[in-house]
Amino acid sequence: MITRRYLFVWIWLLALMTLSLFMGVAPVARHAAVTLMFTVAAIKTVLVAVHFMHLKIEPWLIYAIALVPVAMVVGFMFTLFPDFVFVR
Amino acid sequence: MEDVAFRAPASPGQSRGEARTGGEAALRGKIAIWWFLASEIMLFGGLITSFVLARLGGAAGTHEPLNVTVAAVNTFVLLTSSYTMVEAFAAAEHGNRPGMRFFLAVTVLAGLGFLGLKVYEYSGEIAHGFTPGRGGFWSFYYTMTGLHALHVLIGVVVNSALLVMAGAAIRRPYRVELAGLYWHFVDIVWIFLFPLLYLT
Repeated sequence: MITRRYLFVWIWLLALMTLSLFMGVAPVARHAAVTLMFTVAAIKTVLVAVHFMHLKIEPWLIYAIALVPVAMVVGFMFTLFPDFVFVR
Repeated sequence: MEDVAFRAPASPGQSRGEARTGGEAALRGKIAIWWFLASEIMLFGGLITSFVLARLGGAAGTHEPLNVTVAAVNTFVLLTSSYTMVEAFAAAEHGNRPGMRFFLAVTVLAGLGFLGLKVYEYSGEIAHGFTPGRGGFWSFYYTMTGLHALHVLIGVVVNSALLVMAGAAIRRPYRVELAGLYWHFVDIVWIFLFPLLYLT
């Protein structure tokens, strides 16, 4: 017994994984490759969260619990950029 | 076959997710597991942020190439296990006990396969002298992948318990969903660790 929607999501995840691997060896600028890899990782995360973790049909409270820490982590990271990355 | 996870109607005052998984107890459990996952996001997020900052700031140093082939196979294994886990929940929702047991068993085997490949990878790296004391990168590498592997192990134990107690799980399918939420989170962590450590 297979659920067609989940199967499609899985195939998409594998295709995106293959794209990430290809970008690791593709003759493109390093920054472009890294940017694309993490964009792909973000898309895979959304696919898993929305379809496999059923965020698509959850109430707002679950969204809030899930998204607030993600926003905090990303915010903290960029807040620290001037102290660690832009120091020369 | 029909996909009830996306069709279940909600009664007034009840979300579709709540209606689908069996009421108040399920929603309480779901909120609890999401709170737990929120703390896990902060834990892994803190580690990943530290690594990104150290790497971009030059503090993590350079490192010898890792075994991308093994890591790619492990990525395939974890993505597939996420799929089988959600199928186990779909089967549980339909009261399909053999289906739930089959998909849970595949998920457990995939988790064990992931851990086996990780042990193989670690042993090769340590044999070549790449221990945690080798430098900044290796400290981060062993901390992040080790903590992730520990989470995989916990997931394997939880899924094995559901497999053994299939009768109870089929009566309360939301338990399979809660275990699945944790398992998918572990998958998401690896989705970021893989390019971060192996491809960049």
